[in-house]
Amino acid sequence: MTFSTMLSTMSAGMVKTLGIFVLTLIGSLPLGMVVALLRKSRFKVVRGIISIYISIMRGTPLMLQLLAWYFGPFYLFGLNIGNWRFPALIIGFVANYAAYFAEIYRGGIESIPVGQYEAAEVLGYTKTQTFMKIILPQVVKIIMPSVTNEVITLVKDTSLAFTLAYQEVFSLSKQISASQSSFMPFLIAGVFYFVANYVVEFLMNRVEKSMDYYK
Amino acid sequence: MILEMNNIRKHFGGLEVLKDISLGVDSGEVISIIGPSGSGKSTLLRCATFLETIDGGEIKYMGKTAAHSDENGNAVYVSPQELRAFRSYYGLVFQQFNLFPHYSILKNLTDAPIHVLGKSKDEAEATAMELLNKMGIADKATSYPYQLSGGQQQRVAIARALAMKPEILFFDEPTSALDPELTGEVLKVIRQLAEERMTMVVVTHEMPFAKAVSNRVLFMAGGVIVEQGDPKDVFDNPQEERTKQFLRTFER
Repeated sequence: MTFSTMLSTMSAGMVKTLGIFVLTLIGSLPLGMVVALLRKSRFKVVRGIISIYISIMRGTPLMLQLLAWYFGPFYLFGLNIGNWRFPALIIGFVANYAAYFAEIYRGGIESIPVGQYEAAEVLGYTKTQTFMKIILPQVVKIIMPSVTNEVITLVKDTSLAFTLAYQEVFSLSKQISASQSSFMPFLIAGVFYFVANYVVEFLMNRVEKSMDYYK
Repeated sequence: MILEMNNIRKHFGGLEVLKDISLGVDSGEVISIIGPSGSGKSTLLRCATFLETIDGGEIKYMGKTAAHSDENGNAVYVSPQELRAFRSYYGLVFQQFNLFPHYSILKNLTDAPIHVLGKSKDEAEATAMELLNKMGIADKATSYPYQLSGGQQQRVAIARALAMKPEILFFDEPTSALDPELTGEVLKVIRQLAEERMTMVVVTHEMPFAKAVSNRVLFMAGGVIVEQGDPKDVFDNPQEERTKQFLRTFER
């Protein structure tokens, strides 16, 4: 296999990697906010369920969770779902990352001084206005460094998709390396991940800078 | 009467913070509330502004009832929607300013008039600039709160409250978070508002200010109004032993 064939095969894998990455973010960033808000629900049962969910997501390996999502429906319920590999993968990633994002959001929301809520309340803002206009923009600024961290981790965590034999760049690099007896695929994969994260870092820095206008 | 608070009761856990307090505020009155910390002064303001809910008693603004006691003596409030309408009657200036840090000074003053009162942007900005001028900080309109001194921030907070055109303005220890050299500029603004006959209730530890500016002084201790009246009488000729004792601590 020539270097250029290797490169183009792996590039196709990298596209799949980025697919997992983007879909996970699209799902987990908003879902995390829902989870964070439910965690502060006035219903004890809801709070309890959410806190158990977060504990499980954070307390067990993501690799194990992916396997559970993939094999669970069949072994537990005898369900045979066609084309389940990719959906299971995305659900697994989204469920896991939403839990982490939820905790980051919660930390951010709780760090906003109660005086901000009181000032908004006295001025007559509704609860929704208060959250959307006053609280959320400040939360976003506070949590940005932690979110960046998590997003960078996600780029690398996509490699766990190999457990479900999904043909993203890491699975491919292992396969090609074994079949060609070459170390080159690992090097290429490493460069791909590094470049992806370099871009993530650059973009997130821009976002953080754009919020530097206030303290 | 702009505000009527009758027989207000409030407790936190086992502690009774307000014991059957009544307070009426007429249009144009400036009332100072003084007293030791923990006496219930701030709690009274927080009940008047619905940041705390009362256990019993009655709160009326402009003759309209916001809360009253049922037959068992427990406070019943109007619905949250109706309560929101009451918020346009008053403004509150906090000890910690509580400006919105992500909004420019101008936006701090215009956002609520636009999105709560439904004012046009032009009108809200015109009002805001007028108020900033009055506060002597018109040049800070495009700045952000963190760029201002504490005294300037508190003047912005006063302007923000005034931008809502309230009938009455409450101040919760407006100078307590300020360096001594900055309190003067804030007190001057409040004094100016008093001269314009703005109705105000000020919780304060600034005794000379309370004496000079208010029409009436309330001395609170232990959750009750111990003594009230004309500032000259209360400060120069207090009748109650508790008042004398408190005022003596300021003579040192």
